[in-house]
Amino acid sequence: MFTEKAEILSNKNLKGDYYQVDFYSPKIAENARAGQFAHVQIGNMEAHILRRPFSIFDTRKDGTLSIVYKAVGHGTKVLSEMKYRDICDILGPQGNAYTPATENIYPVIVVGGYGAAAAYMLAKEAKIKGKLLIGARTKEDLILIDNYKELGFEVEIATEDGSMGRKGLVTELLSPYLNRKNSMIYACGPNGMMYAVAKLARANDSICEVSLDHPMCCGVGACFACVVKVYDKKKESWVYARSCKEGPVFNSKDIFIE
Amino acid sequence: MADLTTKLGSLTLKNPVMTASGTFGYGREYASFYPLNSLGAIVVKGISPFPHHGNPVPRICETASGMMNAIGLQNPGVEDFIRKDEYLPFLIREKATVIVNIWGKSISDYCKVAERLDCVEGIAALEINISCPNIKEGGIAFGTDLGQAAKVVSQIRKVTRRLPLITKLSPNVTRISDFAKCVVDAGSDMVSLINTFTAMAIDIETRKPKIANVYAGLSGACIKPIAVRMVYEVAKAVNVPVIGMGGIFSAADAIEFFLAGADAVAVGTANFIDPMASMNILNGISEYLDAHGYNSISELIGNLNL
Repeated sequence: MFTEKAEILSNKNLKGDYYQVDFYSPKIAENARAGQFAHVQIGNMEAHILRRPFSIFDTRKDGTLSIVYKAVGHGTKVLSEMKYRDICDILGPQGNAYTPATENIYPVIVVGGYGAAAAYMLAKEAKIKGKLLIGARTKEDLILIDNYKELGFEVEIATEDGSMGRKGLVTELLSPYLNRKNSMIYACGPNGMMYAVAKLARANDSICEVSLDHPMCCGVGACFACVVKVYDKKKESWVYARSCKEGPVFNSKDIFIE
Repeated sequence: MADLTTKLGSLTLKNPVMTASGTFGYGREYASFYPLNSLGAIVVKGISPFPHHGNPVPRICETASGMMNAIGLQNPGVEDFIRKDEYLPFLIREKATVIVNIWGKSISDYCKVAERLDCVEGIAALEINISCPNIKEGGIAFGTDLGQAAKVVSQIRKVTRRLPLITKLSPNVTRISDFAKCVVDAGSDMVSLINTFTAMAIDIETRKPKIANVYAGLSGACIKPIAVRMVYEVAKAVNVPVIGMGGIFSAADAIEFFLAGADAVAVGTANFIDPMASMNILNGISEYLDAHGYNSISELIGNLNL
């Protein structure tokens, strides 16, 4: 884990409230793995003191660290107004990463909303270009589809209002890919969706990793704010695990579903 | 360079900067940022005689110039803390000065954990937590009632022969100096203050409390002026060492506490924002002492120009 005073290289609107910010953050970029996050202290935040965790979207060998975010709260709105050469203090890379999709794994990536950002590096590094199942409330919230297509991923879409792709939840697209030989499910999205994917995977003996989180504070494992329930060692009861340390990526078999 | 050696009764620290319990885990997470033995002491997250899950999520939220938390004292229990490599053995290897914050649901719980730790090597002192606002039993229930506070401290004193006792006071009382006097009379060797303020925040869209526990402890820069005032009052009221904390984010903040009468300070919420915070504050204190011609930190303590 490193801390870097990272300069903004570019900060551009993707569509609607979605933005991509590129930082020059060579140490974090070099060490980042798919599914990990960067804990960003956004400048000019005055009374808003906490860092904000963002999934790492992409990295480049030239030291670029990219984050895709939705400007929804105070922090992300301030971030969306930051300019070239502005500085953020970044802590990272942090957290448990996805298991890489090696030559023996057919990756089925299931994402909701800007969860698409968190799984992009996994897709980029995957030896076999598999499937992206992407869902959102409406087509305005579908992002990065072309990025996955350019990698060679086949894309299936679901929207809750039917404005694009199939009308319904993204989990409804998953059934043909459950219990398929040599395939692995990788998921990132809202927690409710993650538990739904994990349940389906478990019921069908599919190998699956989901990314879970809760409001985070220190991001290094010290404060125990961002905990999720996982099975204890004997698989009899549950304990709280830190999503910033033992997670955010968990095997679906390990999480405790109520 | 000014002498930072800090004497807290029988306890001597190399400098007056500690970490506040609950904001530094068990040290391990911060050991990659700087050597843990460079601080005066590491005060670890509250330990009970039993393992404890803590509260449901969400456990934190941000507030103006601060934050609220209701972690609920999640901890591995005293036996795992003593034995498991990631806890006390790790801190001992790092040569850290370790202060263990202790809590229980009953007086007998407090005594159990204190007695157990009293005979363990590698611990410098115990901090009695009678001020956590986030658990249903124990914690603040002992810290907001003079009779209960006296009782828990005197009982712990009876079973603790070796280690110095620090009592961590709650600010959620009418007159904190009464509590300071009360726990000192009951056998506490020193006091630390303040713990968080009991607080609440509501999401107006969902109409739900922002914290699952409903109540939570408010910390950060927003509480600092109240903390300084309380440290000032307590330092005047008792003749034992006072450890001051509450919203210390910079060396300047820490120096306010020394001037108000604190013999040492603890850095809390700031650790969450900047993992280097405690170390930077320590360096800043040293620079201030040198720049202002002080030979030692002790010359600064209570040296308020009224």
